Amino acid sequence: MTAVAAKPQVGSMFNPVAMVVGTILFLILLGVMYFLGSTPAFITLIGIVIGGVLIGFGVHFVPVGGAPAAMGQAPGIATGVAMLAAGGGLAGLFGGAWAAEQGIVMATITGAIGGGLMMAITCMMVNVVYVYGMGIPAASGKVKNDPITGDSQAEYKSQGTEGHGLPFISFVGGVVGGLFAGAGGTLIYMELLDLYKGSLPTLLGASEAQILPIAVTLAGIFAIGMFLVNAVLTAYNITGTIEGPHDPKFKRWPRSIVASAAASALCGLVAILIVIMN
Amino acid sequence: MTVKVEVIEGGVPHDKIMIAGLVSSLVCIYLTYVNVLTQTEMFSFFGGIAAVAALIWGSNTIKVLCSYGIGTGVPSAGMMAFGSGVIAMLFATKFGILAPIVALILAAIIGAVLGYLANNVLNMKIPTMIRSLTEMSIVGALSLMGFAALTCGGFTFADLTTNVISIFGIALPSYQATFIAGGAIAVAFLLGAIAIQHPFNACLGPGWTQDRMLTLTAECGFISMVVCAIMSFALISVSSAVISLIVALIGWVFTYHQYFVLSKRDAAAWLDAKPIPDVEGH
Repeated sequence: MTAVAAKPQVGSMFNPVAMVVGTILFLILLGVMYFLGSTPAFITLIGIVIGGVLIGFGVHFVPVGGAPAAMGQAPGIATGVAMLAAGGGLAGLFGGAWAAEQGIVMATITGAIGGGLMMAITCMMVNVVYVYGMGIPAASGKVKNDPITGDSQAEYKSQGTEGHGLPFISFVGGVVGGLFAGAGGTLIYMELLDLYKGSLPTLLGASEAQILPIAVTLAGIFAIGMFLVNAVLTAYNITGTIEGPHDPKFKRWPRSIVASAAASALCGLVAILIVIMN
Repeated sequence: MTVKVEVIEGGVPHDKIMIAGLVSSLVCIYLTYVNVLTQTEMFSFFGGIAAVAALIWGSNTIKVLCSYGIGTGVPSAGMMAFGSGVIAMLFATKFGILAPIVALILAAIIGAVLGYLANNVLNMKIPTMIRSLTEMSIVGALSLMGFAALTCGGFTFADLTTNVISIFGIALPSYQATFIAGGAIAVAFLLGAIAIQHPFNACLGPGWTQDRMLTLTAECGFISMVVCAIMSFALISVSSAVISLIVALIGWVFTYHQYFVLSKRDAAAWLDAKPIPDVEGH
């Protein structure tokens, strides 16, 4: 076997033992939080876990093309998962942070729209470059007909490629992924911000107005850290490229849910303990 | 199963780099504590040196991990390192003088759990995955702590969140102009994340040589240190910040020159680029 042919053969199958261990780890971390902290802290951790899972699930929708896409040999946006997730999700997070004063629901929706908008603009400009710059049509290699529009794909696909450009289903997948990831990132930020605004004044012995910059930055940097952890774990789950929700690799999402939940619970626990422990 | 695409040939063994990076990084972070003992801020520059030492170690770890085709690009590993490292580092600052040790232990725990999740739950099946993610999490935490010590003169939670400003001779505590509230931590975060992933991303390929990659890491680390030293003008005394800046500039010019020399050395050599090697038994 040559190393050229040997792309990492990561099985799409599940590892049942590890899935159970991951779930148990997640439950243990929730239990630790419940006994160490108060009820509001526990609810904060639940919010962080939901946010992390939303990020992990949402990134699966984003059409990631990587280097083959840049050469017009595979469909998708021509960069890696981590970069795309960071672009879409952090745009959402910043959008949601602007609406932080309007309450958690409004902020999360704003964050989702921010992430979706960022991905929509990215997908459109990617297609503009593909069609008018590189002169290639959009065609998927994984399905015969586009699941949404029903357009036939095979006639437009060049021989020897896995498809190219950004078909409609991938575009929709990108926007949906941006919505999920933006909402998840904002949810983590909002949960941490509320907790820090409540507990930092007593911890530092200062008024709420004085500690507000600290609370905002702490929540922001923790949200970015957890966002990147979840996005990279999802990138490891996808291992390289994915076309969107119609790609067979999309079926791997349950693994990512378990991993994101356990990772978010661990990181969230540490982020909450920073204000609970003295 | 996975196949190792590139073979590590020659160079300093990874274990040696790991121990050297860990020890020198911890020692240099603790040397910034001389600030507290001598009531000055002159020794902040040791924080930057600690960050550079940790980054060199992390860069080699990325080489070890990414030699297996992880399929997600090298930058993702750097983002993971600092994403998990910042969480451990911020929590550890609560422990005062013990902060670097706590950061080391906590980052190791977080990294090991993330490594298990990636390797077993997500079925990556890469032999060095757990160890590499553990190491990178520690590197992220220690280099951020180094940059923090460089920028604000200390590594405790109080140093990071409180700054004493004097208005008309009256000392007032300020929370706005600090390492965390001023947002300097976000700059340090990305400076470190880029410095850790860029060298292997830039040097990989059949002509990869370890000394050239590690020199580039040191260069990236020192240029990040220059930026952090400039930020430190806002938080520590001018004379101390000037010392940090001069140390950073000297380090940067030296390593940049070295990298230039090594690049010329490797570029001038005729490279017999053989086919990608077959590796069996992995």
